[in-house]
Amino acid sequence: MTATETAVAFTGAVKTFGAVRAVDGIDTEIAPGETVALLGRNGAGKSTTISLLLGLIEPDAGTVRLFGAPPRRSVTAGRVGAMLQEARAVPRVTVRELVTFVAGRYPAPLPVAEALELAGITELAGRRVDRLSGGQTQRVRFAVALAGNPALIVLDEPTAALDVEARHAFWASMRGYARRGHTVLFSTHHLEEADAFADRILVVDRGRIVADGTGEQLRRSAGGSLVALDLAGRTPEGLELLPGVRSVEVRGGRARLRTDDSDATVIALAGLGAIRGLEVAPASLDDAFLALTSGKSHRSDEPGRSGRSDEPSASRQTPSPLPEAV
Amino acid sequence: MLDYLRLEIRRTLRDTGFVIGGIAMPVMMYLLFTNLGGDESGWKTGAMVGMAAYGAVGSALNTGGGVAEDRAIGWLRQLRVTPMPPRQVVLGRALTGSVTVLPAIVAVLAAGGLVNGVRLAVWQWAAIAVLLWLGSVPFTLLGLGNGHRLTGQTTGVANMVCNLGLAVLGGLWFPVALFPDWLRTLSAYTPTNRFAQLGGSVAAGHAPTAGAVLVLGVWLLLFGSYAVLSYRRHAGNV
Repeated sequence: MTATETAVAFTGAVKTFGAVRAVDGIDTEIAPGETVALLGRNGAGKSTTISLLLGLIEPDAGTVRLFGAPPRRSVTAGRVGAMLQEARAVPRVTVRELVTFVAGRYPAPLPVAEALELAGITELAGRRVDRLSGGQTQRVRFAVALAGNPALIVLDEPTAALDVEARHAFWASMRGYARRGHTVLFSTHHLEEADAFADRILVVDRGRIVADGTGEQLRRSAGGSLVALDLAGRTPEGLELLPGVRSVEVRGGRARLRTDDSDATVIALAGLGAIRGLEVAPASLDDAFLALTSGKSHRSDEPGRSGRSDEPSASRQTPSPLPEAV
Repeated sequence: MLDYLRLEIRRTLRDTGFVIGGIAMPVMMYLLFTNLGGDESGWKTGAMVGMAAYGAVGSALNTGGGVAEDRAIGWLRQLRVTPMPPRQVVLGRALTGSVTVLPAIVAVLAAGGLVNGVRLAVWQWAAIAVLLWLGSVPFTLLGLGNGHRLTGQTTGVANMVCNLGLAVLGGLWFPVALFPDWLRTLSAYTPTNRFAQLGGSVAAGHAPTAGAVLVLGVWLLLFGSYAVLSYRRHAGNV
């Protein structure tokens, strides 16, 4: 085992349930120390990906490796901690009892007091787990995930059903843990969370990774800027042919152009004498996400759209820009 | 492993439903049945063994309810992502079951000795407790089979049906002597009847019959296979 070995490696992993290809060929690697978000809508395949990663289910095809070994072996060796989705509070135990028990399963756990402190639940130690609020329970589950001081911590939708305050407290705890050099993988359908807390975002859609990069890279890939203008009676035809423009959307008499080069687009619009109520803004991550995942997109003419059926393997190299297919 | 056992035993004993249904109920029913009916001391001893057996069966089945609950709340799944091997989890649960039957047995025997004035030799008390303890294993397995196969609520119902049905059929509540012939014949094949008979023989001063051990052994195999099959079938989606 070398310092450069990957923490997580998926190679062509496929998992089907009946006719549904929940995970449809995932290839990716995560380096030790990275904080990675698995971003996707509900049903995109995030939880199945995580179940494969933890060895709770076996892939139908392809392989999954954790620290170079099959997932079950790395789990048994105590290199993984997880906070699973939809797990509820364990009844009739106190927070300290629960965390102490889980810590005791691992070869080199954190001291219990430290685990409780990292999760921000020191003052709840003596309370029964089933008598806590939703936010508190979630942090107990986080303490359970990190109690064994695992090299990789996996959090499946850790902030689902938390209010804003609990969410902030949770992410503060998570950052504290990541800063210790641990690898963190979390899934979410909140763009802002992925953007704010991950070094790298894997966008999952229909069981595939459709984009891989930082929040900034995702934004850029979606088309750097939005240029909006009143059509004032003009037809929108031909706007998509202007320099830089990648897509055109018309709503309420206003055209919204997604463009790679807003300067060139605006100059061309001026040349047409089409500038009415002009507005230029950077694309939001929301726009990027909608552009990257299918289903909600209004675009009809996006270049590379036909590349959807290609293998998404271009996304394998970690710090590389986004794959051509998106 | 010991940690797991300790944790699960704690959780069981903190379950008010278990303490009332599994320990207090058999004791109360025992005292009620023996002090309403005739005053003969034979019935007090017989009912003591029957109710201790009934309490042990209820507690043993309750283990399965715990498993169903643990599956429903994702606790078994959470254990699967710790280094603890799955078979230790299963074994730990079975051992928890075998420990948590003890309070019911001890409580009913204590009520017999202290309240109802049942007099037995020391070896008889010890042998009854140990035999009832060992004899409850098939019922723990039945409960585990239910718990691994069914959802939380249906497990509760299934356990209750098994518990009451087997208790009444096996003569744990009312002496088999009151049954019609055909029912008495049927009763001799129930695990509960033979289970109580283990203790009853000792109370009467002799060793358990080979028939009792044989019938219980067959049920042990049946319930054991049921537990293993249920676990295997549902191991993938704990």
